[in-house]
Amino acid sequence: MSNIALTRIQREFKEVIKSDEVKNCQIKLEPFEDNFTHLKGEIIGPPDTPYQGGKYTLDIVIPETYPFNPPKVKFLTKIWHPNISSQTGAICLDILKDQWAAAMTLRTVLLSLQALMSAAEPDDPQDAVVATQFKQHPEIFRSTASFWAYVYAEAPRNEKMKEYEEKLKQLQEMGFHEKNSRITALSSKNWDLQAAMEFLLP
Amino acid sequence: MEERKIKKMDDNEMEECDMGSDEDYYNDPDPDVTHTDNDKDPESFEYKILEVVEVEMLLNTSVETMCKTIDVSPSLAKLLLHNYSWNTQKIEAEYRQNPEQLLINGKIKPSKIAKGVSRKNECIVCAQEVDTLLGVECRHRFCETCWCQHFEVQILNGVSTAIGCMGTDCTVLMPEDFVLSILRCRNQSKLSQQYQELTFRSYVSNHPELLYCPGPNCTAVIQAKAKEAKRVDCKKCKTTFCFKCGIDYHAPADCDTIKKWLIKCADDSETANYISAHTKDCPKCQVCIEKDGGCNHMKCKKCGHDFCWMCLGDWSAHGSEYYECSKYKENPNIANESEHAQAREALKKYLFYFERWANHDNSLRKEKDKMKEIAKQIEEKVTTKDGTWIDWQYLNKAGELLRRCRYTLQYTYPYAYYMLKGARKELFEYQQAQLESAVEALSYDIERAVLDSRGDIENKMDVVEKRRLTLVREFLVT
Repeated sequence: MSNIALTRIQREFKEVIKSDEVKNCQIKLEPFEDNFTHLKGEIIGPPDTPYQGGKYTLDIVIPETYPFNPPKVKFLTKIWHPNISSQTGAICLDILKDQWAAAMTLRTVLLSLQALMSAAEPDDPQDAVVATQFKQHPEIFRSTASFWAYVYAEAPRNEKMKEYEEKLKQLQEMGFHEKNSRITALSSKNWDLQAAMEFLLP
Repeated sequence: MEERKIKKMDDNEMEECDMGSDEDYYNDPDPDVTHTDNDKDPESFEYKILEVVEVEMLLNTSVETMCKTIDVSPSLAKLLLHNYSWNTQKIEAEYRQNPEQLLINGKIKPSKIAKGVSRKNECIVCAQEVDTLLGVECRHRFCETCWCQHFEVQILNGVSTAIGCMGTDCTVLMPEDFVLSILRCRNQSKLSQQYQELTFRSYVSNHPELLYCPGPNCTAVIQAKAKEAKRVDCKKCKTTFCFKCGIDYHAPADCDTIKKWLIKCADDSETANYISAHTKDCPKCQVCIEKDGGCNHMKCKKCGHDFCWMCLGDWSAHGSEYYECSKYKENPNIANESEHAQAREALKKYLFYFERWANHDNSLRKEKDKMKEIAKQIEEKVTTKDGTWIDWQYLNKAGELLRRCRYTLQYTYPYAYYMLKGARKELFEYQQAQLESAVEALSYDIERAVLDSRGDIENKMDVVEKRRLTLVREFLVT
């Protein structure tokens, strides 16, 4: 790691720890195994979104040329969002690509991700299936996103989830044992049991 | 719909043509003398081939004019011109309307000025206290080390004129003199040279009158009034290309057609590969024949049979006006056939055109070698006093003309492939066949030329170029 990158990261740690967001438990930042090149971030699902109350862990890799190149960030917690891959957690966000500026910090990145969770951009999708659902069936999108938040991010449960759990159970009884693929199949097929089954069959 | 559009365009064209020739006839003092073939050639247009120094002069002239018109430094004027695609009129118009907005749109000034971002003399990028902070119009200030590293990362990524400021949400771009002064202070001469090469390329590619010659390792820059789909022959590397799209010249096809065709060829290359095999069997005696020249008129060395390389039919049917080898005969009943049969028909149709396209490409390459051989033979003949050097020059001219005609012929096939069935296509195919037969006749004669075939070959040269021009004039949309 270059000198500039190390000084910067150390400074940014101080900045994040002192920030209001940390005091309100909105964001968190810590190193992976005492190593400043690989960090772990955490953001809380913003209010009035399907992600409300969820805890989202992020994988952050600091490049050798930081801060002149952006950090590489992806979601470790599975999330249902048009601009985030439901499979890999890869993020489509301009400031993590060509709109990065050296004066930006990890705190800006974490806050921008929170903003992205509040305001998706379905016309610039990372996950085409989710983006289509977002545009064509906004109701199903919202309940699916909050179901994922409940299952993967410890967000609170609501009434709608009973129906979804029932469908998951039915699929399981048909012999589909892998939970994640059952959730993905049903979510991708707008919770149509028949379509999800066909999706899962080889 | 398509048909009508094409038809309408023709009428207009014809009218224009007629008017043009009338006017020429009356206004031109001596049409027979001044009118060379080039004047009438619908493919030719005025262009200049510039060296790097000349391009720099051209750009600098624009920059100087700009500096006088609006009060900015040469470096900022250059950036402004670049961001406005060197459109000085648009810049001047916007300047008269709102000079402040012009500088914002041109990415020289920020939409909002940053206020006291840095605490004391701390560079927020490296979090270090330094003596001096540097920056441009937007007032985002950083230390020299950070600027230099920023430029290095960008330049190594191939970014030059689009290097931005390091400030958050800042839209201002870095002017050339600022980048160069920082690189100079840090003794980055190699990086600085790389940067200048990149910016130069970037200026040229954004300039509406300039185009880099696409030839491998060629540094020539072509200048013409507008980006038209016209033929450029680079004198430096001998590449022929289209001034609009920058790829191989493609008349009578237009830029979109040829782009579509090349993508199709790349996609279907596997199916088409087998055809580009260079050998075929003689249809009469079955001996394996390798094509070593460009001519499609084959004469089997074993049995003496004359046949056509493309269709393997008897050549006697090709020499006359019934030359039909270039025409694709569509199955008239295809609409009623099964999907499978339609797919096969579609592939057959594509292969028909691809085969002819690829064959001319191949012939062009082989004829190039043949011309080198002929040049050698001429030398030998001249040394053995079999005619003088001047006596033989007609052969070189014939070779050059043959190349040009075959080249046009090659590009008639993608054009025909995308043409709709109808009278227009029939006319096109008729003219294509005429050209095809004339090209093959000339090619055959060139390969077998002797001193007294000059008159005959010159005759054929005249015929072939006339046919080529007829086709191009009729079908090239300008």
